[in-house]
Amino acid sequence: MASQVIKVQTVCRNIIAVARNYTEHAKELGNPVPKENPLVFGKPVSSIITEGEIQIPHGWKELHHEVELGVVIGKPGKFIKPENAMDHVMGYVLVLDMTARSIQQELKKQGYPWFLAKGFDTSCPISDFIPKSAVNDVHNLNLKLAVNGIIKQNGNTKDMIFKVPDLLSYISNYFKLEYGDLILTGTPSGVSGVKHGDIIEASLDDLAKIKFPVVENEK
Amino acid sequence: MNDQEPKIDLKSICKNIIGIGKNYKDPLKEHVPTDEDPFIFAKPTTSLITEGSSIQIPKGWGTIIHEVELGVVIGKRAKFVSEDIAMDHVLGYVLALDMGKSLEFDKYPILLIKGFDTSCPISDFIPKSKINNVNNLNLKLSVNGNTRHDGNTQDLIHKIPKLISYLSNYFTLDYGDLILTGTPAGISTVKHGDVIEASLENLANIKFPVVEIQ
Repeated sequence: MASQVIKVQTVCRNIIAVARNYTEHAKELGNPVPKENPLVFGKPVSSIITEGEIQIPHGWKELHHEVELGVVIGKPGKFIKPENAMDHVMGYVLVLDMTARSIQQELKKQGYPWFLAKGFDTSCPISDFIPKSAVNDVHNLNLKLAVNGIIKQNGNTKDMIFKVPDLLSYISNYFKLEYGDLILTGTPSGVSGVKHGDIIEASLDDLAKIKFPVVENEK
Repeated sequence: MNDQEPKIDLKSICKNIIGIGKNYKDPLKEHVPTDEDPFIFAKPTTSLITEGSSIQIPKGWGTIIHEVELGVVIGKRAKFVSEDIAMDHVLGYVLALDMGKSLEFDKYPILLIKGFDTSCPISDFIPKSKINNVNNLNLKLSVNGNTRHDGNTQDLIHKIPKLISYLSNYFTLDYGDLILTGTPAGISTVKHGDVIEASLENLANIKFPVVEIQ
């Protein structure tokens, strides 16, 4: 039986991400933990890369890494009930939600949206597609990230505040989910700065491994 | 002379909608801050609707707000483009409504406020050749026949070439991408049963009923 190779970067037309979905990560940035509803934001599909370098826009000097489980939608839907939510999932990717932290903080102070700090080109490196069948328990996956060989983030999806079915259900109440859409489910604690010359390696259990060098653009 | 322009269906080709806020001169203020960076946000492509559909207020919200805007459609991939050649990357335009929950940006995530389904009603595509001067276009919107917005693109703070150039420094803009360039003053609320009509000069006319999801 031939398995279909899904190229998320080709089929994806929407990326919706969730902030502060791991308690320890919210705490490390001094942010309140969302109680009622997930805190959603978007990244443009132009930010996705599958290879090559993470490029820091000229002058920004540093980015923060955030390693995340990405959920890829297969079956479209709207107003999805949590108990049916996993039927809409066709697979996963390992993702880095690269963030210009100081730009984000500056934007917050000005009362501006985060979009620039979260959506610049190359801010969404992803792994190869992982079919749904390869994952036994989506809420028991190790997320690990190292910078220049030193482990910085080492978490587990069991620590998600809003679990995947609840996230998909909530998101689908406001945004119709379509085939290829990518949902970023949050990052555990351990975010740190990377600059020109650093190398990021990350893994999702033994399901995916990625490696991306970081450069700062000269122009 | 063959006048056939290819039919552009933005809902099918668009992969990115970037919105620009606070981009019209405030008639009450004297100082126009042109050296500030543009206020940028995004709407998911699922927010796009065309005539025949209704604007749907999410259940329980009661009211939403309207904004009327000139939308710029990208025709040629743009990355690090300078202002002087930016217009070469434009395919055409649409008249767009940038619907929102409210102006409470500190209370709700902007993706929710600005990006809910049906929050981006658009007109048919307007080819670039149809517009003589993009800096002198009237934008009008009425609710139930009462005029709310009545502005002109001459009051844009950051003009289109500047917007394209600035955005392309950070985001690769691709064929079909849509930039909403801001709204003139006149924001007000609409509720279930209201009808919004809007026009861009005599180039586009749109009409959308508003309903609240039950």
